Amino acid sequence: MATAASAPPPALTFPRPIFAAVSPHPFLQAHLSASKTAVRANGRAAHEFRAPGVNTGSLTHCNGSAVVRLGNTSVVCGVRAEILKEEDTPGTSSPAAVNANGDVEGDEDAGAEDEVETLRLLVPNVELSTGSTPAHIPGNAPSTFAQSLITRIRSLLHSTRLLRARDLRITYTPTTNPEDPEAAPETESKGYWVLYLDVFFISIDGNAFDATWLSILAALKNTRLPHAYFDEECEGILCSDDPSEARTLQLRGLPVSSSFAVFEGRGEGDGETGGEWVLSDPDAFEEGVCRETVTVTVDRGVIRRVEKSGGGVVGRETMKALVKRATERWAVVEGAVSGRP
Amino acid sequence: MVAPEVTLTQLNRADGSAAYTHNGYSIIGAVNGPIEVQRRDEQPEEATLEVNVRPSAGVGTPRERHLETLLHNTLRSIILTRLIPRTLVQITLQVRSLPEEDTSTGVNTSLTLLPHLLHTAFLSLLSASIPLCTTLTSVLVAYPSSTTKSSTPLLSPTANELLRAKPIRSTHVFAFSGDRRLLLNESDGKFSYEEWETACEMAEEVCCKEEDQGGVSLGDSMVVDGAVQSQNLEKWLREVVRRKVEYEQRWKSAT
Repeated sequence: MATAASAPPPALTFPRPIFAAVSPHPFLQAHLSASKTAVRANGRAAHEFRAPGVNTGSLTHCNGSAVVRLGNTSVVCGVRAEILKEEDTPGTSSPAAVNANGDVEGDEDAGAEDEVETLRLLVPNVELSTGSTPAHIPGNAPSTFAQSLITRIRSLLHSTRLLRARDLRITYTPTTNPEDPEAAPETESKGYWVLYLDVFFISIDGNAFDATWLSILAALKNTRLPHAYFDEECEGILCSDDPSEARTLQLRGLPVSSSFAVFEGRGEGDGETGGEWVLSDPDAFEEGVCRETVTVTVDRGVIRRVEKSGGGVVGRETMKALVKRATERWAVVEGAVSGRP
Repeated sequence: MVAPEVTLTQLNRADGSAAYTHNGYSIIGAVNGPIEVQRRDEQPEEATLEVNVRPSAGVGTPRERHLETLLHNTLRSIILTRLIPRTLVQITLQVRSLPEEDTSTGVNTSLTLLPHLLHTAFLSLLSASIPLCTTLTSVLVAYPSSTTKSSTPLLSPTANELLRAKPIRSTHVFAFSGDRRLLLNESDGKFSYEEWETACEMAEEVCCKEEDQGGVSLGDSMVVDGAVQSQNLEKWLREVVRRKVEYEQRWKSAT
């Protein structure tokens, strides 16, 4: 460690940015252990999140979009909808009967499998732009980091069952029943909306996952799909030009993720350990010196996902406190996403 | 719970390897290390770790990259990387076969595979004599939906059991170190903190050795069909290594 500890008097001193660059770990430890309240190098308390800034509907050529800022992390998400025709699907997963509203029996049942996952109606993608982070080298294939991020987003979208298959289904009820003119005609499914969720990072200053998820939530809440219907004469799906017929998506709840990084202090001598701090919403500098990360996703007090890896500091007791922190964060994010200050 | 079957050092060209089979999941792991590291990956104070996961069919997808990231983060915390600086430890895990029901259980397939990958990687590291600071054991816990049958959590369920207990409300993967610290946790579904805590306690009981040897021991080995069955993963791990050492020392102990 290149600290000034062993230098002869007059002691060698560094200005703040150089200390941070030369020895990041002791720099953060010095900050955290300086006072009892544990103020981080970026001026936040250990349990303090950055205030989210959400701006929706900024992209013209998308069905829904959002720009989200968490401190210096800024991300754009655009939702683009395309039509998947019924004849282009394998046909194995289509429901046997759809009622007039496009509902399938047991649609609200938590365990029922739906087409959103089997037909891959949600396609998330994360792109790190040139200059968004020093670690990103432009022109290469998506990094492990980006791929891992996409996998986590996709599995969270599916495990929380955020979108209802009903919203994405395009149904058609013929005027007469072709088999039996007396009976009521059966509603059939003619196609699906496929949503491409493109997330674009303008800059990453830590906590990319929370920013991505927040931008996707905000963009989906902003999404308006035009009214699509099956036209008997054209024998194809047409979209209505009237904006008043467009409808928004009905999301299932609002799962909000909160990420934490665990900073382990180093002791003076061998075998001696320094303190441990769990930092909410870490920035890029803190992510660089922390090994263990925890992400808790909650929806109104119900836990939807816990991801923890990289070390053994967070046990059952600490996790309880983190779930509490995540629940408090939920209210803040819920306010930001629904446009309340 | 049936203990996993393991053959240590099955590949003789790798520095260490393990062939692992449990509940229809079959994985072969190989470790090379410490070996020379590429200049751009070299770290001055510690060893670089590289994890490759190869699926049973096709090439790796983003899902495998995510599993690799999880394994990398977990193994980095138990390997004494500072003892072997400026080197590379390369871990390759090839999934050989999955249970037939794996994709139809309605559970995230990364989660069902993860404990097996962790065990294989750890045993391969043991076989390669990479310096480690602790052991690693991992288990899957699943809560069936309370509306159907009883909602007692399933401990290390097979794919078939998951299929029968469908729908599953939440699944949890826990990994513990030898000193009972929670190293990894991936939980998915819909659950409360209390349920998570119960699952965590159950997993800890199975993963870690009991601290006192008195009383009714869950980890008692029993002989069923000639195979030693162990309900405790820590004991199972020691048993695997003991058998291997005994085998290697058979000439020495015979004379």
